[in-house]
Amino acid sequence: MHRRTLLILALVLLLPLAAEAQKPIKVGMPMPLSGPPALFGDPASKGAQMYVEEINAKGGVLGRKLELLVRDSKADANEAVRQARELILKDNVEFLVGTLTSAEGPAVSVVAKENKIVFIAPIPKTDQLTAPDKLHPYIFRVASNTTIEGRSAAEIVAKWPVTRVATMSFDYAYGQDVTKAFVEHLKKVKPGVEIVDQQWPKLGEQDYNPFINAQMAKKPEAIFSSIWGGFFVTYSKQAKALGVFDAIKYHFIGVGEAATPETTKSMGADYPVGIWGNSYDAFYWGETAAHKDYVARLSKYLKDEYPSSWAIQGYIGMQFLAEAIKKANSTDSDKVAKALLNLTVETPVGPLTIREKDHQANRGQLYGKTVKDAKYPFAIMKPVTYVDPTKFMD
Amino acid sequence: MRAPWELALLAAALLVPALGSRFYTFLANDVLIWALFATSLNLLVGYTGLVSFGHAAYFGIGAYTTGLLMKKLSLPFLIAFPAAGVLAGGFALLFGFFCVRLTRIYFAMLTLAFAQIVWAICFKWNEVTGGEQGMPEIPYPSLDWMGRLPLVGGLRTSDHFYLVTVVLVALCLWVLRRVVGSPFGRMLTTIRENAERAEFIGVNVRRYELAAFVLAGAFAGLAGGLFGIFNRGVFPDFAYWTKSSEVLIMTLLGGMGTFYGPALGALALILLNQQIVSYTEYWPFVLGTILIVLLFVFPGGLAGAAGTALRWLRRPA
Repeated sequence: MHRRTLLILALVLLLPLAAEAQKPIKVGMPMPLSGPPALFGDPASKGAQMYVEEINAKGGVLGRKLELLVRDSKADANEAVRQARELILKDNVEFLVGTLTSAEGPAVSVVAKENKIVFIAPIPKTDQLTAPDKLHPYIFRVASNTTIEGRSAAEIVAKWPVTRVATMSFDYAYGQDVTKAFVEHLKKVKPGVEIVDQQWPKLGEQDYNPFINAQMAKKPEAIFSSIWGGFFVTYSKQAKALGVFDAIKYHFIGVGEAATPETTKSMGADYPVGIWGNSYDAFYWGETAAHKDYVARLSKYLKDEYPSSWAIQGYIGMQFLAEAIKKANSTDSDKVAKALLNLTVETPVGPLTIREKDHQANRGQLYGKTVKDAKYPFAIMKPVTYVDPTKFMD
Repeated sequence: MRAPWELALLAAALLVPALGSRFYTFLANDVLIWALFATSLNLLVGYTGLVSFGHAAYFGIGAYTTGLLMKKLSLPFLIAFPAAGVLAGGFALLFGFFCVRLTRIYFAMLTLAFAQIVWAICFKWNEVTGGEQGMPEIPYPSLDWMGRLPLVGGLRTSDHFYLVTVVLVALCLWVLRRVVGSPFGRMLTTIRENAERAEFIGVNVRRYELAAFVLAGAFAGLAGGLFGIFNRGVFPDFAYWTKSSEVLIMTLLGGMGTFYGPALGALALILLNQQIVSYTEYWPFVLGTILIVLLFVFPGGLAGAAGTALRWLRRPA
């Protein structure tokens, strides 16, 4: 054989070996990228991607680059399960970070358990995800949860001069759980309060008029809503047309991120300015230098002057995974799962810790009353306060 | 018995786990179950000439039946699996009783209406079905005995379940094949060709149609029972109209004029879907375009096209 041919042959044979050493760490992300939930899902995936690019520019993790594989889960539990299984079986991902709705999260958690793969849920809030009977070594949550959110909202409503309170939530895990937590905590901190009405439209409802009319007939003085994402836009437009906000003197709190910049921005003048709401993040919060720096980087990455508040959840999810891999000094899921317990990470919104007890991070949210601000063409929360969840977690 | 190629195919299907890839087994399992589902629909669409827009209802009922029996009541698969067929068949009898009284588009609309009712119940009845979140963690059937068999003993649980699926789907297809070849099946074809004439020669058309509806529903239920376990969870959208349209597309794509056409359609659609989703987020657009082209170029479906090609090849020069 010709010597040069032999040399080339040897090189070709060696190539895969060289490639093996630098094989990226693959992370699968099932996330809604179509329909109304994409308003939150799409920026969350971009936040994760930004973190991946930043850490890869610094040399990756354990000398290997991270690679994020995003798949459209269509906000559907069945589809999310399918995508997760394909990511594991076909694309050989080593970890899962993702899902948005409280139906998707628990369903994918089962896949993670069966395949013994670490799964970090950055957005689903239902308590059921990490409830004692559902908890397993591989599931972790860096999102807030329904107990934290419901109780945080109850503390705010308890300070209002109202006794007749009504609720408006979607009829599925998230809506049911957060409303239950809100009602229980409100009754505890303000025993005189009366729940006069509870409406349960189905997830994705388009026509809220019957629910609004039935609710207003009971003459509530305050309303708690957990209608989220693009759905809040539809609901609040219809409620405004029926004079709901004036009737209750803006004693309205919208959890499920009703006060995110993307919601107020997309509604513009239609937004019911004066209601209370929450958000995972806000570009105008600017509490610390780390946060200001993050917002500047994100603004550049997304080419958006007022960058999304949802990117932070994807970002934190990936950050926890990368830090855990470093701490474990391994990509073995069992070792990484152990490393995640009691792990504290300096995130752009401050230090967060995953508890060993229920694999839940102490992730709180920003709350505030929405007002018009001359600086922006849309409403913002002012003053905006980060509600520390630690006292609400048990 | 003719057709040794069917046995060859069965043998090939049984050998898939030997390839050693969990993904291939996963894909093959998916295709097999959908093949049974599509073939059951073809009994209505292809053989009896009844276009059902709500076939997913029976698939969903079957999936929830097996899932609930195995998860909540811890009954063995040997009871839970046939129960899916029986219950789905029962509901098909109830709904079909009304549906066969209508013809064409009215029949199709009523099947859709019943299917949406089934979906709404699955979606709303939180205590039993788990509502929107569905019912995850359906246990695998206890297949410990397979671990003691030679050759297959060392395989994973999912591979064992795959082998069970192969055998059960093959059995179901064999039964369906016997049905369409029987005098009963011939009568269905007669009804499809000309229902009025069939009536004139003394055939009780409605009763035959109802029988076909129940059979199709029962086999769709069996497919659903297998799918719930394979999918590791049962979700309300198993009974949603999109699933009905998916299986209808498989049947048309594969070719409703032939017995194995729908199975071929299931294989083609799953592979297409699977490939496209991983390449682009505009998958509905790409998939739609491919389907339109396929349906125009091969009006007889993939099976029809394959038949034409074979005849052309065998033509004496």
